[in-house]
Amino acid sequence: MPEKIRIKTRVPFILIVFIISAILLGSLFLGPTIINPFTMNHVEKEILYSIRLPRIIISVLMGMALGASGAVLQGILRNPLADPYILGISSGSSLMAALGLLSGFSLFGKFTIPLTAFIGASLVSIIVGAFGWKRGRLWPERLLLAGVGLSFLFHSVLILLMSISSADSLRKTLFWIFGDLSIADWSLIPYGSLFIVSGLCIAFFRAKALNALMLGDELAHSLGFSAQRERMLLFISIALMTSASVSLGGTIGFIGLLMPHIARFFVGSDNSILIPASALSGGAFLCLADLIGKSILSPMEIPSGIVTALIGSPYFLYLLRKKDVLSV
Amino acid sequence: MSSAYNHPILELDGVGFEYFKDKKFINNLTFSVGNGEFIGLLGANGSGKSTILKLASGILRPSEGIIKLWDKQLQSYHNKDRAKLLCYLPQLLDIYVPFKVRELVMMGIYPYDILPKISVDEALELVGLKEKSETYVANLSGGERRRAFIAMTLLQGAGLLLLDEPLANLDIKYQIEILRLLRELKEKKNISIIMALHDINIALQFEKVMLIQGGRILGIGNPETVLTGELLEKAFDLKIEIKKQGSGEAYIRYGNTI
Repeated sequence: MPEKIRIKTRVPFILIVFIISAILLGSLFLGPTIINPFTMNHVEKEILYSIRLPRIIISVLMGMALGASGAVLQGILRNPLADPYILGISSGSSLMAALGLLSGFSLFGKFTIPLTAFIGASLVSIIVGAFGWKRGRLWPERLLLAGVGLSFLFHSVLILLMSISSADSLRKTLFWIFGDLSIADWSLIPYGSLFIVSGLCIAFFRAKALNALMLGDELAHSLGFSAQRERMLLFISIALMTSASVSLGGTIGFIGLLMPHIARFFVGSDNSILIPASALSGGAFLCLADLIGKSILSPMEIPSGIVTALIGSPYFLYLLRKKDVLSV
Repeated sequence: MSSAYNHPILELDGVGFEYFKDKKFINNLTFSVGNGEFIGLLGANGSGKSTILKLASGILRPSEGIIKLWDKQLQSYHNKDRAKLLCYLPQLLDIYVPFKVRELVMMGIYPYDILPKISVDEALELVGLKEKSETYVANLSGGERRRAFIAMTLLQGAGLLLLDEPLANLDIKYQIEILRLLRELKEKKNISIIMALHDINIALQFEKVMLIQGGRILGIGNPETVLTGELLEKAFDLKIEIKKQGSGEAYIRYGNTI
């Protein structure tokens, strides 16, 4: 029996490491122009280091943040349809970023858009948190409803702004909204990774508390957790990861909603495995989607958010048909 | 009473609680639970059984009075330390549990940083769910589901179990099965148990019952002294007679039956 378990867990692990390394290396050397790592000239080296590597790192960071925060949110809301964007964080930051893009505001140079997006995301997180807070505790249902309400509000303002703006800035804004990784460079990585890694750490180290919360507040209490404190911490981790991810490369759909479900099909619902699994698969998947998006119609780029949904949704539907449905 | 019962594990002294301001729901509640006691908390719907269990487990804070666990104020415990001594199971009817039985049972070790004294397999064996360890909790029957949660409390290793209607919505066969399991745990592990129930026939099987009405204790002690026609009528607002069979076993008859 122990023999069987060892084989069962080791094979997929090796497979996962192999797939992830293949995606990372593929993204580095493939693309609109294929670079042979053994015969690189200095231009190719420059492309590799200054363009491709930071873009890969950003896509992996964003994908990890979205995958993990999706898993955490579905757990604390006990709702399989929850998506980090449902809290209104993405629409708030899209609105702020669009304001920046449409008005041509560029006080902070290339940091302007990420910074405005981050400010928007953080503000919305605080507003949603405030709406979700009543009688000294954070209510999941209130969070969800406040997020949906605010999303509609921000979204309509965003569309209003876009409908009265010029064609060029409109295209830029649209691109950003669907996930534009083409602006990626090294300068944003330290800030983005600081927030995302902190969020990931909170989520990972509070995974047991999240499991307990999924049994309900009373059982969580009985197992020695303060449901309020844990929910607050987990909400902060989601806010950190989602805000940073949106500011790095726009709003990329699908990953936050469906990656945790795909991961759940394979590893089950235990959050101490599910959170890292969702993060890893989210990161690898966004990296792959970006590679496809920038290569397939080169020199034109398809926004990564479109590619993730185009590939991911059919695969998800296939899994849904094939396996037992196990929601959160 | 044997000497093992002497030391009180849990003591409630003059406890009061209100959900809405100036509307006392629990009034001057005083009782204690001794080591290895198995107490049935009997009362009609809305009499305050669940609230009493939530107060005793620290989920709700009393507005007055003192609750002590092992001679120390309940609220002063660190969450994890309390969880090692006291375990509360809610009614569990509406919770969707996405975990496998083994994963759920494993959660019992969360309050600990070290491995517990009992393994998951032993706990599953004790509750008779060893064959189902890889089954999803959602696919278990009502009785099995409760046994899975009880296995979790075994890993948690708490000496005091507070169970809110563990027999609700179960067929009589499963009700007896759960009761038997709890009694066995009490004997083997010297666990003290308070469970809420509303079936008087089941309460008659207990060695100690506490009859509740309107947030007050009507009576506490062995069923013969507490479950009298007069008190039961008060508690359930219905004419109830306790009859004795030839064998001496008691059963109840409802006065104005259908």
